[in-house]
Amino acid sequence: MPARSLRAHLLRMLLPPIAALLALGAVVAYYPSSEPTTEAYDTALVDIGIALGAHIQSASNEYRFELPAAVEQLLRTDRHDLIFFRVLSPIGVHIAGDLALPVPNSERQAYDGVVDGHKVRVVTVEAPCGGASCTVLVAETTNKRARAAREFLLTSMLPGLLIALATLLIVWFGVKRGLWPLTRLSEELKARSPRDLRPIDAAAVPEETRALVSALNGLLDELAHAARNQQRFLANAAHQLRTPLAGLQAHTELALAEPIPESCRVHLEQVHQATIRTARLANQLLALARAEPGARGESSDVNLRSVVEGEADSWVHQALARDVDLGFELEPAPVKGDAMLLREALANLVHNAIEYSSSGGHVTVRTGQRGGESFAEVEDDGPGIAPQERERVLERFYRVPGTPGTGSGLGLAIVREIAGRHGARMELGEGAGARGCRVALTFPHG
Amino acid sequence: MRLLIVEDDAPLASGLSRILEAEGHAVDVTERGEDAVLAASQEHFDLVILDIGLPRMDGFEVLRRLRAAEKPIPVLVLTARDATEDKVRGLDLGADDYMVKPFAMPELTARVRALLRRSQAHGGPRIVHGPLALDTVARRAYLRNEPLELAAREWAVLEVLLAKVEKIVSKEAIIQAVAGWGEDLSPNAIEVYVSRLRSKLEPAGIKIRTVRGFGYMLEEFKIAAH
Repeated sequence: MPARSLRAHLLRMLLPPIAALLALGAVVAYYPSSEPTTEAYDTALVDIGIALGAHIQSASNEYRFELPAAVEQLLRTDRHDLIFFRVLSPIGVHIAGDLALPVPNSERQAYDGVVDGHKVRVVTVEAPCGGASCTVLVAETTNKRARAAREFLLTSMLPGLLIALATLLIVWFGVKRGLWPLTRLSEELKARSPRDLRPIDAAAVPEETRALVSALNGLLDELAHAARNQQRFLANAAHQLRTPLAGLQAHTELALAEPIPESCRVHLEQVHQATIRTARLANQLLALARAEPGARGESSDVNLRSVVEGEADSWVHQALARDVDLGFELEPAPVKGDAMLLREALANLVHNAIEYSSSGGHVTVRTGQRGGESFAEVEDDGPGIAPQERERVLERFYRVPGTPGTGSGLGLAIVREIAGRHGARMELGEGAGARGCRVALTFPHG
Repeated sequence: MRLLIVEDDAPLASGLSRILEAEGHAVDVTERGEDAVLAASQEHFDLVILDIGLPRMDGFEVLRRLRAAEKPIPVLVLTARDATEDKVRGLDLGADDYMVKPFAMPELTARVRALLRRSQAHGGPRIVHGPLALDTVARRAYLRNEPLELAAREWAVLEVLLAKVEKIVSKEAIIQAVAGWGEDLSPNAIEVYVSRLRSKLEPAGIKIRTVRGFGYMLEEFKIAAH
């Protein structure tokens, strides 16, 4: 049976034994201590009996019992109980008192009996009378005694009840408090980024939840493993594509260098361009696979300036091929991140800027710091991106309708993915003089 | 020049060899690393183009063995992987250059030319770039076989650029290479030397391109008719 609430379950388990223990405690406490009380009351009755006994007069087997009315009244006056007495001669003949009080049928000096339908406690007292001893019976109803017993029971049970109450309260709040580390753990998990598949720190959780945490960690590990497998598959697929594409590119270039009919050349040019695009797409898919959640990334100190300097050669050649002037304004821009991904992000921005610039256009790559935050940005004086398109161009495979060229529409999506992975802001705007396009990546401090 | 291509992808290997043959080189092709090591130990090659992803003995191992040989042969590494680790490992093992597949053929041929030129220049006194020739021993320059007057600083700047044809050389790198100890040379001074070099070399079709905010790049010499 699944316990919906741990608390209710605990209470259900604790209540019956606590109640049983309480009852047992009451019984155990009551019986031994009720005896002295009974004895004390009995002694009081015996005292009365002795006092009554003093009123017996005897003269040669004649017994008389004279009790002044005032004394009798005093004797019988009790707030809670009725008092009965009876005086018997040494041979058991009634001398005085209440006839309703039965003659004792045992040797016991104190016993329970009934008088006029009242439950009573009876004591017998031997009173000396003329060389022999008369018997004085004194009885009392049991109201006082019952009351005392009730009071005693209550006072002896009260601590037990209080302890039981305290136990329940402790369970109620203790469960909440005891489960607090779990609450904290779930908060922590809720706050986790879906990219974060690191195991939970088992040292930070209580002993009792280790099993749960280690099971969770097992699951996280499997997830990370699956994600890595997927990454690896994608990366391998992209890598595997590269060699045949290189071959294809080599042969189309060779063929284009041959003297071939112009009609053929047009088609071959198309094949060649498609090959280059496919190669680029393979690279982009690879980058996307690396930037995606779960991908194992390396994080180290990276200077965006060095990243740009390292790639400047190949970018300048791309720019020259399209007759675009590529310039640099580079200042140190230290960030923490994956150098390969950052290079890919910048390469995509530069590629886009060059691709969408017209012949004679200008593209400028900047790195540096603004307000303590490192940034890298690429600005061109091409057609720019209309404000209403700026959100959509970040979607995968989206291209602004009517855009010339042959891009895949993956470039900016990759940049966004990589920026997101580094916690960087990506801003799309206009270039200087409200012309062209400027894409800036700003990296948070630290 | 004699080149050895070690590549197990037949179409790519044949494409590369055709292109490099068209450049006037003698090209041998093997698809196994073991054969490449053997061939290099028995015959002379001016350059090895080596694929990393080979079956059995991989490119790294081939590279290690080539480097262990007595006379170092320049090696251009090709790879389908671009993990930084691979690149660093390749260069650590002594690869002279590194290209990630797929690549444009003109880029490959340019890099091959640069590597061959570097290995020829290494120990060789003559640097040739199109119609320009530098005799580094006599410190004389010739343009279209005519003596070319170059100031010492101009010579130094040109030497730096010639060592890295088709690559951007930053102004800082030029200053470091040109300025003597304790000398303070401003980026503006470099601009002056470069503009003087340009006026002397451009009529012969040799172009030094300015990369805005970065430095300069000596372009591959192209015959103007093309």
